[in-house]
Amino acid sequence: MSFVEIWHLIIGNPILNVLIVLSHVLFGRFGLAIIALTIIVRLVSWPLNRRQLKSTKAMQDMQPKLQELQKKYGKNKQKLQQEMMKLYKEAGVNPLGCLWPMLIQFPIWIALYQAIMNALATTPEHLLNLARHLYSWEMVSQAIPLSSQFLGLDLGQTALQAGALGLLLAIIVGGTMWVQQKMTTAPSVDPRQESTQRMTTLMMPLMFGFFTLMFPSGLALYWAVSNIIGIVTQYFVTGGWGYLKFRSPFGQR
Amino acid sequence: MKNAKIIYLIVISLFTLLLASCIPGSAQPIGGWAGTTVHDNTIYVGSRDGRVMAINASSEEMQWSYHVTEPSGGMGCGPAVVSAAITTPIVDGDFVYIGTYSGKVLALNTTARSQNPYLPEEPQDRYHEWETPIGTDARNNAIVADLVINDDVIYVSSSDGRVYSLRKDFGDQVKKSGILDEKHSKLWTSPVIEDDTLYVSTFDGHIYALSAETLELLEWSFKLEAGFASSPVICEDTDTMFLGSFDRHLYAVKIGSDVLEWRFPEEPAGNWFWASPVVNEGIVYAGCLDGTLYAIDAQTREKLWEFESKDQRGKPSSIVSPPVLIDNLLIAANEAGNVYVIDPETGEGERIKNRENGDKSTINDQIRASFCAHEGLVYIRGEHNRLYVVDIDKRKVSWDFSLSIEE
Repeated sequence: MSFVEIWHLIIGNPILNVLIVLSHVLFGRFGLAIIALTIIVRLVSWPLNRRQLKSTKAMQDMQPKLQELQKKYGKNKQKLQQEMMKLYKEAGVNPLGCLWPMLIQFPIWIALYQAIMNALATTPEHLLNLARHLYSWEMVSQAIPLSSQFLGLDLGQTALQAGALGLLLAIIVGGTMWVQQKMTTAPSVDPRQESTQRMTTLMMPLMFGFFTLMFPSGLALYWAVSNIIGIVTQYFVTGGWGYLKFRSPFGQR
Repeated sequence: MKNAKIIYLIVISLFTLLLASCIPGSAQPIGGWAGTTVHDNTIYVGSRDGRVMAINASSEEMQWSYHVTEPSGGMGCGPAVVSAAITTPIVDGDFVYIGTYSGKVLALNTTARSQNPYLPEEPQDRYHEWETPIGTDARNNAIVADLVINDDVIYVSSSDGRVYSLRKDFGDQVKKSGILDEKHSKLWTSPVIEDDTLYVSTFDGHIYALSAETLELLEWSFKLEAGFASSPVICEDTDTMFLGSFDRHLYAVKIGSDVLEWRFPEEPAGNWFWASPVVNEGIVYAGCLDGTLYAIDAQTREKLWEFESKDQRGKPSSIVSPPVLIDNLLIAANEAGNVYVIDPETGEGERIKNRENGDKSTINDQIRASFCAHEGLVYIRGEHNRLYVVDIDKRKVSWDFSLSIEE
């Protein structure tokens, strides 16, 4: 069995078929199915998410101490790094703690993404390809092919083709991604790192806003919902807007 | 923190790669599965890179080709990259007709183009060629299903969910139907015509009857819970149509009746009946994507026999193309590239072997397009953009021809 076959057997096909069943249960609305499945996946991956959020919160709480270290050892980079690592160790925080859960969740996001693209079957070739991945469940049979219409959008078309509604979707995707990133990205005590972070925080939402225009709207809907869920959980777990309101001392110079 | 940056970059790179590559095949051009047609010793075929090609069946040389490909917007993961000739060419008189993925119907003069292969790749008025965009937004009205010609009219199923009728001589639109599938807003199945009535199956599980003249809905229609995967085929003797559904059954529906005639098999098959079945002398021959070809009594639904097609590893391989009958033999092909000669009475079959490729399969290519048979030869277009001619009597691949042309 090849890696691709194992991938579809264990992750890809279950997610795809659940998505189609959800579409059937939710009045044939594929858009609702995408929203529901995004929520389900978020719930399933909650233990990992919680760990990630806790790590973020811990980093957030450590900011005043990190700033103190910056003031104290600002000119000695090596010493600053040593002291920072010492501080992380004492607090029991792994600065990479918020990244590993993200990496572990990555296969799930890929499968979800593939499921949406497969289920939409925007071309005849994709529709034929879909036949290979479906279970023989009656609900799946009755739901196929899916209707791609949702809230005036054709989820199989690019947002660019959808006109004003598509543009709005791109703004929502980019905006929510920016908010989520601002909430979770701890400001760096290093001015150079701070500059890189700022660039990344701006570039990622812009990139995804651009992707939204170029990719089927179904995928953009998934990004938007995923971001909104991320913002809400982040807000309640960390007890606020996180770094969104935080102003870096280096930004005031 | 250096490690953090590296991981972050890895995450971003992976995601960008994922977006760039998408799912397998999505970044590829829409190649379609235009089949083959033989007329007056000429093979007409739509290539995967968007050409209509005419090949001399005797000299095995190309007579002319016409490039219909044009960009249709969207990036790698968008709905369509390149619009190819996706319908099987239909020859009528001096013209070959084809529908394109960019929502156009083309009529090309076969005589003029044979005599002058260097005619420009645009319709020539002086030879009465034409090109008609379908609907108000042709680019989004991909023509996926084969065209149907009846007398002076061409019927076109469009991805806007309507059927259009065009004048065969000038290509003018005569009529258009209402949207037949509101839910999916697309028609990817061909209509079938009988006695001035057009029958259309839809993805939302309807069979509609339309007036061939006005394209208005007639009183009779039929509704199924699941959607129809294949175009209907009508048995004129019994006024019954046969078609496959996404619920893994083949259905027999009596025209004019609200009651289902039968469905086959009792329990769902291994996959969809994607290809249209063939009906001959009261027997329905239906290929399934689970790799099995079934022979069913059209009246009683009794299974007469089944034939399982295999790939090179001995596993079942999907039957995507409809089978054809030739000289009282049934020819079936599977996606793995195997071609079978089957006795339609007993279901006993023989795979055509090919020593030239180590007998891995009949042809070293995938078969998805519909194929045609003529005078003991079967003309198959492979998914690797190659035409194969299989001699049924000699049970071998007679010759093959590359459909790729370097610009």
